Amino acid sequence: MSSGLTDVAATRTLAASSVTDPGNRRDRLEEEVVALFDEFRDPLLRYLSGSGAAFPDCEDVIQETFFALFQHLRGGKSRDNLRGWLFRVAHNLAAKRYHRRRRDLELTAGWTEDSAVDPAPSPEGQAVFSQTRQRLLAVVKALPELDRRCLFLRAEGLRYREIAGVLNMSLGAVSLSLARTLGRIARRTQQGDL
Amino acid sequence: MKREDPHLSDQALLSDIDGEVSANEEKQIRAHLKACWKCRVRRDELENAISDFVHFHHGQFETKLPSAEGPRALLKAHLAQLAITQPRQPAPWANLSHQLRWALAITACCVLVLGLLLPQGVRHRGTRSLGAIVSIPDSRLTPGAALLMDQREVCTAPNIKNKVVPAALQRKVLEEYGISGAEPRAYEIDYLITPGLGGADDIHNLWPQSYSATAWNADVKDALEDRLREMVCNGNLTLTQAQQEIAGNWIAAYKKYFHTDRPVPEAR
Repeated sequence: MSSGLTDVAATRTLAASSVTDPGNRRDRLEEEVVALFDEFRDPLLRYLSGSGAAFPDCEDVIQETFFALFQHLRGGKSRDNLRGWLFRVAHNLAAKRYHRRRRDLELTAGWTEDSAVDPAPSPEGQAVFSQTRQRLLAVVKALPELDRRCLFLRAEGLRYREIAGVLNMSLGAVSLSLARTLGRIARRTQQGDL
Repeated sequence: MKREDPHLSDQALLSDIDGEVSANEEKQIRAHLKACWKCRVRRDELENAISDFVHFHHGQFETKLPSAEGPRALLKAHLAQLAITQPRQPAPWANLSHQLRWALAITACCVLVLGLLLPQGVRHRGTRSLGAIVSIPDSRLTPGAALLMDQREVCTAPNIKNKVVPAALQRKVLEEYGISGAEPRAYEIDYLITPGLGGADDIHNLWPQSYSATAWNADVKDALEDRLREMVCNGNLTLTQAQQEIAGNWIAAYKKYFHTDRPVPEAR
């Protein structure tokens, strides 16, 4: 379930020269934050929208998240696992927004009935693709919120410990959640007993 | 790790697939898989489920994600703006500059004096119950603190309302208010003087605003902050006065500037 993200990116550090001159340091910090934005904006957008928020709301949360990251790094705070930090802060900011608006969000923006890219060239291939997609969609929609979030975070390449940190769960609970969810997906996609 | 039957569980197989098992566990799982067709097949099924999900999950977004160019430009503009308005500000929670520390100290003292003049009824003392509704901050704990910014700098900076407060500092604020055992989601650690009015990232400017407050809640205070900022930027109120009024008693300030004794629904 690799997403192409590496642990190196998650623990990037500033160049040594950047800590000498304050102006230079700030410029480099901005560059670093923008570079991290380029790397993690899409994964964050997928994760947040997968929970039902509209893209503009997700973009707002992401802006706030990277603004907070800039403050975090400028304050000399820990650079350990910035990927986990970004997902955790974005998750909490989004939860806070929804709490304040008292929204009851459903899975909408990310996973929809008719939006998947269909790579199959033949009519038969398209039919199989469509059928599998419908089954997956049904399984994912039926998942408890926490299981769905675990799954989406793992799909973005987060390790169990990072997911546990984002969702404030134990490692064992993350492991159990993912096994339960993938067991369901395996069963449904094979049997088609929806 | 093993079922009674004694095949490997999905959890064990998936943890192995994801590289989340110890070396010893991995050795045991591999040894079992070599001998067990059933578990090997189940492992493949889980791999296929992962493959199916990742393929469709990313496929769902492939053509839908909005371009990052606009948001990227917006972020750069915000960061540049921050650099202009706070050109020499070091770490927000530590290592404050000499000049800024003096500004914070002077502002805090001024607001503290104002706070002491408030009626006893609005000040809180001692330990609260975990469900306590905090509508007005304790002026001894949260006198308010502002950055050394003038009206022009405040009005050209983004109107930031909800900056992220580090979890450790949030706990410290709750602890000071005697509600350290409270459910964190029951409170928003709010800026007394909002950053949009030059409020500082300082514990003396932070307080736990209860989500349970029904009338004088965070949304009402947001409306007041918007009103005060608008007045400051239109030249109808000095920045210092706005900061002192919101820090002194924000509910009284709301009543004063909205000409009402109750929150105005439209203003929320």
